[in-house]
Amino acid sequence: MLEVSDLRIGYGQVEVVHGVSFNVRKGECVALIGPNGAGKSTILKTVCGLMSPLGGSIMFGGRSTAGEPGHRIAGLGISMCPEGRQVFSEMTVMENLQLGAYTRRRSSIKDDLDEMMTLFPRLRERAGQDAGTLSGGEQEMVAIARALMARPKLCIFDEPSLGIAPRVVDEIEQTLLAIKARGVTILLVEQSVSMALRVADRGYVIEAGLIVLEGSSAELAGNKNVQNAYLGF
Amino acid sequence: MLIDFIQQIFNGLVVGSIYTLIALGLTTIFGIFGIAHFAHGSVAMFGGYLTYFLISALGIGLLPSFILAMAAGALLGIVLERVAYYPVRNAPPINSFIIALGLTLIIEKLNLLAFGVDQVIIPTPLVNVINVGGVTMPELRIYVLAIAAILVIGMTLLIQRTWIGMAVRAVAQNRAAAVLMGINVNSVSMFVFALSSALGVAAGVLVGALFAVAPGVSSGLVIKGFAVLILGGLGSIPGAIVGGMLLGVSEAFAAAFVSSAYKDVISFLLMILVLLVRPEGLMRRSSR
Repeated sequence: MLEVSDLRIGYGQVEVVHGVSFNVRKGECVALIGPNGAGKSTILKTVCGLMSPLGGSIMFGGRSTAGEPGHRIAGLGISMCPEGRQVFSEMTVMENLQLGAYTRRRSSIKDDLDEMMTLFPRLRERAGQDAGTLSGGEQEMVAIARALMARPKLCIFDEPSLGIAPRVVDEIEQTLLAIKARGVTILLVEQSVSMALRVADRGYVIEAGLIVLEGSSAELAGNKNVQNAYLGF
Repeated sequence: MLIDFIQQIFNGLVVGSIYTLIALGLTTIFGIFGIAHFAHGSVAMFGGYLTYFLISALGIGLLPSFILAMAAGALLGIVLERVAYYPVRNAPPINSFIIALGLTLIIEKLNLLAFGVDQVIIPTPLVNVINVGGVTMPELRIYVLAIAAILVIGMTLLIQRTWIGMAVRAVAQNRAAAVLMGINVNSVSMFVFALSSALGVAAGVLVGALFAVAPGVSSGLVIKGFAVLILGGLGSIPGAIVGGMLLGVSEAFAAAFVSSAYKDVISFLLMILVLLVRPEGLMRRSSR
């Protein structure tokens, strides 16, 4: 479904991702893990079209999307739940969810809204409230529900547990598992590597802009280097 | 005394509704681009002149001329966005600031070249004066208030209730997240300039019917427009409505009960007062 090859990305003249290749197959959940500054978020932003790559290719559903504008990529069926949530803080929870379905605005979204409110009962209580007044965990729910409202072919999560109260992190993990169980294809970047490997089927370890290791979640969790560096064994 | 009071509220609301129309455009443009679009007053005067020209030179009726001028204003807005502001969208803010100043001069001079230096009054058949319990309400002023109210309510519904309106608010609040939703920021930018400029033209036509279209009017309009923005809160639509009415009414009171020479002084004193007490503006949440 998503095929990234030899992707190089930079800020100005400084290259930070030096030829990264990975893929996500339909129905799969794939995690990118690695230390801060490895280039994970940069890769996600490029896949979503918020940044243009210096080189390499991104194929989505058999079509090249490298360097395409972000709104067009969203229209192709890639949804992103961005780092730091990025909810529309002066709009209501309901409006945030409606905007998630912007690419489907010509069809009825009422059932989808209802489905999201069932998946996140807290959002139903808060539907008329401005998203900016919600707690961090609730805003994360808004951001996740908003991303799902597009009925994406591929849903990308960038650090969903970052800056969230520890007791809510479990809830987010359960949510990700529930979304996966619905058959949504997921690409996940998550600083909590143990959580990422519990949720994902496969993973890639990225360090300093290069993929240094790849394998199934079980393989990665059993790898000595991964255990030492990320799992705190 | 009560009659005087009501009379001045009426007078103030009429002028205030025109300030609101100007301020709605300025505040929406500011919300999306973060730019102070000084040329907005000149765009309004362009609309006033164009309407006068359509009526007097081509013999087109008042209402069709008004609508044609608003359509021309929308087109002009799109051209301004594409040619002047789009190229500097990622540059430091000082660039668009200087471009805004330059645009003001250019449109002002184009108005002079196209329409001459004379002040013109847009002719209307509305000459009756209605008297309600001692309050004098010229028919023309009632129409001005009604047209402005329809446009303001229409604009508010558009922004609050439609997909394109939601897209406009989304881009104003979080541009990157809006892109992720699939919103084409370019189209939204052009739409905002078209809508704002059409409203600015409407304000210019109302001014032209009520007072006059003249080369010097545009700067006064744009200054009042920004005063409304500061009163109501930058980027806030309810703020533009409340601020515009407040400015209009306070000017009317100042002119009637103090001195018409001091009306601008008093309205700007009010603005300074609001800045001292609520620097974020009347309708802006202080949390931001």
